[in-house]
Amino acid sequence: ISRQVLWCPSPHCYLGPFNPGLPVEVPVWLAINLKQRQKCRLIPPEWMDVEKLEEIRDQERKEDTFTPMPSPYYMELTKLLLNYASDNIPKADEIRTLVKETWDTRLAKLRLSADSFVRQQEAHAKLDNLTLMEINTTGTFLTQALDHMYKLRTNLQPSESAHSQDF
Amino acid sequence: EGHSIHSLPLGLLYSYFHGKDNFCSFSFMQGSKLEIPLWLAKGLHDSKRRIISVELPKIYREAWRTVFSADANVVDLHKMGPYYYGFGSQLLNFDNPENPEIAQTILQTFISRFRRIMDSSQNAYNEDTSALVARLDELERALFRAGQKGLNDFQCWEKGQASQITASSLVQNYGKRKFTDVDG
Repeated sequence: ISRQVLWCPSPHCYLGPFNPGLPVEVPVWLAINLKQRQKCRLIPPEWMDVEKLEEIRDQERKEDTFTPMPSPYYMELTKLLLNYASDNIPKADEIRTLVKETWDTRLAKLRLSADSFVRQQEAHAKLDNLTLMEINTTGTFLTQALDHMYKLRTNLQPSESAHSQDF
Repeated sequence: EGHSIHSLPLGLLYSYFHGKDNFCSFSFMQGSKLEIPLWLAKGLHDSKRRIISVELPKIYREAWRTVFSADANVVDLHKMGPYYYGFGSQLLNFDNPENPEIAQTILQTFISRFRRIMDSSQNAYNEDTSALVARLDELERALFRAGQKGLNDFQCWEKGQASQITASSLVQNYGKRKFTDVDG
């Protein structure tokens, strides 16, 4: 991601060597740090491009299942890079909008899946291609809701021991 | 037989007991009707001896169950509850012949209201949620708060507030204690 570093890293640094003019792959945290200190220019990942993201967004809207995202951290990377290096990213505003639209579509899809799961009183669900960020945003709600539903379902069993649920 | 049969409508959870020295004894006429706390009714309940029988609060009875199955979303469960699910589940302890229908209605009510709670707690439509929340029972309100928290945490992260380091409340209170043997 990083490029063009003229600063000499400390003797203990295991990254580099940094040669001026040659792109180098570094961890994101280092790239952001160097960029903040104006030591480099960032090259965005290949998927952070308007055409590619439009394709992803459109596929997400078309399909019932979740599109595999180009990165499991697409939200995080978008936020970081657009925050700190928007000058290195062509059409940054469009990219921000496209990613948000894809995110909104995916979350709507997740809620739809959850509702359908609850209505059919399924015992198991498998949702492929979700990212951690999406799971965390809805996860607490979903696990609590399913827990309640499970307890209410055990009420249906006529055995006596099933009826002393604590709420 | 010598066994008394009383019917006890369950509804309000207020304590019935007054008495000197916290001891109470009371006797009933057979056939009298009383309101007692749920926990007491559970204690008195015995399916073999039939000391008491329980009258269902109206929202669990057939007329209201029909309303729920038509559209559970319109019901103000806070007014009718506010512990519709919890209390309803406990009611199933009393060998009422309607128990299967009650249990089914409670479950289906939860299922049909789930979507709206989820969508509004995640601000899916960017609308005022207070009217909805006012009609939720306590279990649903806790769920709503969980959904809101997930959303708020995300928005906080999005704004960059997640990276601000703030003192943990444990640490803040720690400093206020007096140390008598600090250096040992």
